[in-house]
Amino acid sequence: MKAGNGIKVIVTMIGLDGHTTGGEVVSMILRDAGFEVIYLGVNQTPQMIVDAAIQEDVDVIGISSHASNYSQIEELVELARANELDDTLIVVGGNIPREPAEQLLAKGVHKLFLPGSSGNAIVDYLSTEARSAKARTKAAAASRPGSLSA
Amino acid sequence: MKRETDYGYVIKPVYTPGDIEGFDYSRDLGHPGAYPYTRGYHESGYRTRMWTQRMTAGLGSSVQANGVLKKYREMGQRGGLCVISDRVFSHCIDPDHPLGRKEAGVLGWPGCSLLEFEELMEGIPLTGQSITLLGSSAPTVMRLAYVVALAHKRGIDPSEVHGSVMESPFENYFGQTDVQPFDLNLKLWLDASEYVVRNKIRMRSSVISQHFQESGGNNAQAIAVVLSMYKELCGKLVNERGLDFDDVAMVPYELVSIGTRFFEEIAKVRALRRMWARIAKEEFKAKTEKACQMLIAVHTSGRTMTYQQPLNNISRCAIQSLAGAMVGCTAMDNATMDNAYAEPSALAARMSLNTQHIVAHETGVADVVDPLAGSYFVEALTNEVEQEAAKILKKIDDLGGLIAAIDKGYIQEMLRDEANKKFIEMDKKERLIVGVNHLAIPPEEDFEIPIQKLHPGDSEAIADRMAKWKPTRDQDLLKARIQQLHTDAQKGDRFNLMPSIVEAVEAYATSGEVIGTIRKARGLSYDPFNMIESPFALQ
Repeated sequence: MKAGNGIKVIVTMIGLDGHTTGGEVVSMILRDAGFEVIYLGVNQTPQMIVDAAIQEDVDVIGISSHASNYSQIEELVELARANELDDTLIVVGGNIPREPAEQLLAKGVHKLFLPGSSGNAIVDYLSTEARSAKARTKAAAASRPGSLSA
Repeated sequence: MKRETDYGYVIKPVYTPGDIEGFDYSRDLGHPGAYPYTRGYHESGYRTRMWTQRMTAGLGSSVQANGVLKKYREMGQRGGLCVISDRVFSHCIDPDHPLGRKEAGVLGWPGCSLLEFEELMEGIPLTGQSITLLGSSAPTVMRLAYVVALAHKRGIDPSEVHGSVMESPFENYFGQTDVQPFDLNLKLWLDASEYVVRNKIRMRSSVISQHFQESGGNNAQAIAVVLSMYKELCGKLVNERGLDFDDVAMVPYELVSIGTRFFEEIAKVRALRRMWARIAKEEFKAKTEKACQMLIAVHTSGRTMTYQQPLNNISRCAIQSLAGAMVGCTAMDNATMDNAYAEPSALAARMSLNTQHIVAHETGVADVVDPLAGSYFVEALTNEVEQEAAKILKKIDDLGGLIAAIDKGYIQEMLRDEANKKFIEMDKKERLIVGVNHLAIPPEEDFEIPIQKLHPGDSEAIADRMAKWKPTRDQDLLKARIQQLHTDAQKGDRFNLMPSIVEAVEAYATSGEVIGTIRKARGLSYDPFNMIESPFALQ
């Protein structure tokens, strides 16, 4: 079974940022690893992304950012929270300088993939952290001999 | 580790006369200034005219951008200015549009009205240097109208201004996207180009391979794609607008991306010059020499400027700037060491400009034209990339030209596959990048460079200013000009809208208003994002 195991990931740009190469490359990496990728493309507002996340019941929202519009990402995190998407991983890939990177993590982005992140690093992180993977890990732990519910 | 060009030619350890057997100097190279111009267009090269040394600018409000331009002039950038639009202007919506509010002035100039252009150019001459305004195809007509309108205001004949303010509609496919439909961008581009030709304004249009390459395309593909753009657009200006090819050929210019693989980048530009010369002469029957000379500016590759260990980028930029100078170019705007972080800091900008100055004044390369000509390796590389590019160009021609190839998805698939291939090569260490996948150091040990700080509040300020300013314009004049534009935009594609666009811009109509009105005339929604309506009651 491939690492991605059908985990659903949105890959999208945000706001008016037109740089799509990174998002397209990551989509390829994830699809090859067995993830189900929902590629939203350009001109996506935070609201549109959250709506898609709810509609498609995704495990991960992946933002590909190359245009310094970090306030839009912070808005997305707030909107996700307001819509109770607490189990949905929010990850951001892009060339983000240290200060905004720290701010985004403090705001609630779960993981940043900065330039030089390997394909494997992205696949490994998402396959272990995404909520269905989490749920399976929880269930597997619960059914082991010696666990309280056995 | 791969020892091949990015288009897959395997490089040998040594090159000999046998590698350029059959080489004929006058047929294959020509003297500089002679057909097929492989060696360049000027006999004395830079001794007659140094390449224009410039950096791109554009961040925050127009007043702030004006400050940066003045600073660059002090740093020695006097041959030309180069300003790039923000995303809001690139889409042709206004800063006070709900989506514009958040990104006005971010990563570019919020150039949505003549007022903004006046502020940008305060105290800066419109003549005596090249004026280059960049940033997507959709605002092409606006940028041209600003230049014409400001020239009128300053009592200058527009034909005395030179530079480049137009961008080809193909930008939308290669990363420099805007939200406007291709056919509208194409029609407006043809209008702007026809206008400059008929009015003898020496304004050019970028018709470029840079974005294609920065998005991942390889050297052979880049040559083929830019040549097919030239063929398509020149063909339309000749056939659909009734212009003379020799005049039309003065409109486009190429901006080539120069990466770090030194000799291959030089070979790329030489091959490009030779191939265009032949196409111009044999396919378009050019009558003048100039029409066979593709004007080529150099952009050192922003894509190669790494996020990790950014000081390394100074070396990369120097190598690339050296290559760009040696191959011969009309202008160079080089990327800065902090390209992966933000708009250029003053330090980074000065460093990159100084790199150009050092190449120009300390290395001696500017004293000799095409110094690598005759090198077995470089001539072989020039031949190889030309052959590979010719194959791809033939494929595009067979599909019916570039527009047809795009309709069939051929170009997009080619670009996507190549971008993916490049990532995998790096991921697997088949191509080494120091500090990234080779000899990487932990971020804590890295030298932290100063970077330009972002102030998110600035966007709102720009949006608020625009919203307050709009009602202060002469409303009667504005409405009359917008109405005229709407009427003209219903007269079919062949009717040139530039005159009525200039008139509307002179009444301070904004880009959202001008393009929105043209959209309405064509049966589209005023707002490409369908969030606001036209404020004008149009007949």
